[in-house]
Amino acid sequence: MDDMTRGAASVPARLDQRPTRPARGAAWAVAGLAALSAGAALALRRRARPQRRLEGPPPVTLRVAKDLNRSAALLGLAALADSAVEHYRGSFHNPAMVTPLAVSTAVIGVSLFGTLDDRPRAHAVRDAAYGGAILTGAVGTGFHLFNVTKRPGGLSWLNLFYGAPIGAPSAVALAGLLGFFAERVRHTRPGEAPAKAPKVLGVPAADALAALVSLGILGTVAETALLHFRGAFHDPAMYLPMVVPPVGAALLAGTVLSGNGRPAMASTRAARWGLRATAALGFVGVGFHAFGVHRNMGGWRNWSQNILNGPPLPAPPSYTALALAGLATLSLEEDRRHAR
Amino acid sequence: MSGDRMFDDPMPDDPMEVPRATNGRAPDVFREGGWVPMREHSENEAVDFAIVGTGAGGGTLACKLAEAGFSVVAFDAGPYWRPLEDFASDETEQRKLFWTEDRLCDGDDPLKLGDNNSGRSVGGSTVHYAMVSLRFRPEWFQSRSKLGYGADWPIDWREMWRYYQEVERTLQISGPLSYPWGPKRPRYPRRPHELNAAALVLAKGAEALGIDWAPTPIATLSSPHGKAPPCVYRGFCTSGCSTNAKQSVLNTWLPRALAAGAEIRDLAMVGRIETDRAGLVTGVHYHRDGQWRFQRARNVVVAGYAIETPRLLLNSATDRFPDGLANSSGLVGSNLMVQLNQAVWGSMAEEVRSYKAPPSLALTEHWNYADDGKDFFGGYCYMSQGPLPIVWARTLAGSRGLWGEALMRQMERYNHQVGLKMVGECLPQERNRVTLADETDRYGLPVARVTYSYCDNDKRMMRHALGFMGQALEAAGATDLWEERDDTCHLNGTARMGSDPATSVVDADCRSWDIPNLWICDGSVFPTVGGVNPSLTIQAIACRTADRIQALAGRGAL
Ligand SMILES: Cc1cc2nc3c(=O)[nH]c(=O)nc-3n(C[C@H](O)[C@H](O)[C@H](O)COP(=O)(O)OP(=O)(O)OC[C@H]3O[C@@H](n4cnc5c(N)ncnc54)[C@H](O)[C@@H]3O)c2cc1C
Ligand code: SF4
Repeated sequence: MDDMTRGAASVPARLDQRPTRPARGAAWAVAGLAALSAGAALALRRRARPQRRLEGPPPVTLRVAKDLNRSAALLGLAALADSAVEHYRGSFHNPAMVTPLAVSTAVIGVSLFGTLDDRPRAHAVRDAAYGGAILTGAVGTGFHLFNVTKRPGGLSWLNLFYGAPIGAPSAVALAGLLGFFAERVRHTRPGEAPAKAPKVLGVPAADALAALVSLGILGTVAETALLHFRGAFHDPAMYLPMVVPPVGAALLAGTVLSGNGRPAMASTRAARWGLRATAALGFVGVGFHAFGVHRNMGGWRNWSQNILNGPPLPAPPSYTALALAGLATLSLEEDRRHAR
Repeated sequence: MSGDRMFDDPMPDDPMEVPRATNGRAPDVFREGGWVPMREHSENEAVDFAIVGTGAGGGTLACKLAEAGFSVVAFDAGPYWRPLEDFASDETEQRKLFWTEDRLCDGDDPLKLGDNNSGRSVGGSTVHYAMVSLRFRPEWFQSRSKLGYGADWPIDWREMWRYYQEVERTLQISGPLSYPWGPKRPRYPRRPHELNAAALVLAKGAEALGIDWAPTPIATLSSPHGKAPPCVYRGFCTSGCSTNAKQSVLNTWLPRALAAGAEIRDLAMVGRIETDRAGLVTGVHYHRDGQWRFQRARNVVVAGYAIETPRLLLNSATDRFPDGLANSSGLVGSNLMVQLNQAVWGSMAEEVRSYKAPPSLALTEHWNYADDGKDFFGGYCYMSQGPLPIVWARTLAGSRGLWGEALMRQMERYNHQVGLKMVGECLPQERNRVTLADETDRYGLPVARVTYSYCDNDKRMMRHALGFMGQALEAAGATDLWEERDDTCHLNGTARMGSDPATSVVDADCRSWDIPNLWICDGSVFPTVGGVNPSLTIQAIACRTADRIQALAGRGAL
């Protein structure tokens, strides 16, 4: 009966890694970092308060920017929880494995700060954290690719299933990118009114965001597909993320990027519903994954092992985060249309 | 103990002492203390099929025949376990799964019988098998005409391919997405497991020597299925799996058999098959609950594995069949084939902990499919290994001859051990056989005498494999290599199928040539063993037999 009580598999296998002392240390470090960044957010906010408030209702750009901050925070949280669990399971055997934890914690902190900040200005601290996340995501992808290809069999299905997940670091990068966009959308030069159609690197922000969010969703779908395939789609619900988010992403891209410049109420409404469904799926997915944990030996009674072995609880909310960013993009798009 | 009960237990529930499948219920293997309803059959009314043995052959056939609407009673000498409550993580305790009754072994190379080759449980040897689930190489079904050795099977490989698929689906085999050897096969129902360190050593060695390797197709779940959780990788598989992740006959075919109306009688040792004056079988005498009983049957299927099957046929001799049942060819008991199970062991500088996870997660079938560069007929595969501590200590003491201080020092290196072990094709030889000894067992039945000698071909294959596995292990970085030369596994032959009554015991449908209502459906019917573990093929044969029986019944030819 105690087939479940002792950990599992082999030495290089992730399953057998029991948390070591440095692992626990790292966990504490992350908790500390989280507290610190929450504190920093509050402190920064206090400094932000005395600033002159804008007259009248807040401009759409500010609202959208805050929405994007919120998405970045949620995506950062999903990435933090996921990398914490996975790298803990890997005993943080490479010190670099703490990086994503620190960086996503920082992303959460500055994003919360962003949601509380009413000034129409980009902030250097936020930009630094978001930039760091983009960089970390890129480097992490490299690390994970290297880990996969150096295993016997090279770039094989087996190594894609069980090597370092190639798609995971890009969640950190995506959080950083959403934050970076939040800053650009928010920013107005002193004395200028908020732009009606803000641009990012010369491209209309709505277009760029729609592309980013749709690609982000599709990338996440690809990773989900790989892992659900590894699980042999043993539950029909595992097909839901193959269907709902791609539809949401397609509707978003179709609405914003169609480029005919005419307000298309129907397609906006459809996109909104598609994205809401995608956001809801992120919540429902956690429930499904909790059920999946229960289907492992010992179920939730054996939570300390099955949370590691079972489907990752923090993964589905990535869809919620991206869908929320998509909904913000639609607001921006509507504003642009009104301006025309 | 928990769970619903359909009746109160009158006495302590020791499955090795008191039969569990009685009073219209059988153990629910998926719940501690649980039961499922079971249809019961009267002893006085002839059932369509009495099946002796509920392992890979008998259990599978019981399910398929019951689902086809036949009335079925299946007997097993062993207990009816509930893995969740009866299996301890203790090698010694789990010896209760093995067939350790008396048998005499002789010949030039007497076999070591017991844990590594036979089981005594409802579910048969699959309760403690290692779950490796491989298909035959197609040419092996005609090894005499295509490869020049052994004997041809009377079945076409393409037909077998279909039945393999049926079994792979039932057992939810997890396997690689593309298999490097042989004709294309459908995708395995489940994805491969993560490799443990021992399997990675095999992979490294194979890559260094430039041959293909693959994650082993294996009958343990890589994701949840029905009431069974996925594998937890603790490696107790050959002592019985206490999670039900292992897909054995006990938790796959038999629950289906019960649901379809089959009756299973545990702790029921069949001692004799009864025949009438017309030369047909009429039922079986079996020992249960302290007394001999008789079950009438229109057909009897013997599925006791390659030693007990011929023993029962020989023990059922009558005046009319003085040499035993189904034995006009004189071949019942002969052509016993084990498989070569030699190994090369070594030590890695880093920790391997090879006992974690199912023992054989990676394999190469290279020498099953390559015909050049061999000085022997037949083929072999080899796999990574993960012996539990007592098995390992016994191997070091028995095969390596270590004792005392030296044995202790080696045991301290347990976490660093790695090994590659072959499953090699022995050739059928008439002199390798099961006969009856003068000694009797606790039921008063003559015990089996098992005579075994390797032939030169077997020895050449052994040398080839040991040499090659040694090179592979060395290439993967192992040091302190040594060869384990005396192990064998699996038991096949002794009632071979064929297309000529003079040279075989049963036909392609597993029906005996001599007695039309006597069937044999287990590892005994193999004319050749091939270089892969046999259970998948045994189950495929059983599925085919069930289809054939249905077809024969359909045209009144039973
Ligand atoms: C340790 C071990 C590991 C193995 N690993 C693998 C593997 O990885 N892959 C693989 O393919 N194969 C493996 N095998 C082999 C496989 O388990 C057997 O080949 C297969 O189970 C044989 O099927 P069978 O139906 O012929 O006999 P069994 O499955 O052995 O079933 C025979 C049953 O008949 C019962 N019985 C016998 N005589 C009587 C009687 N007179 N009355 C009542 N009941 C009787 C026995 O109790 C037994 O339960 C392994 C075997 C062992 C022991
Ligand atoms: S390793 Fe897997 S198959 Fe083997 S005993 Fe444990 S759970 Fe069962």
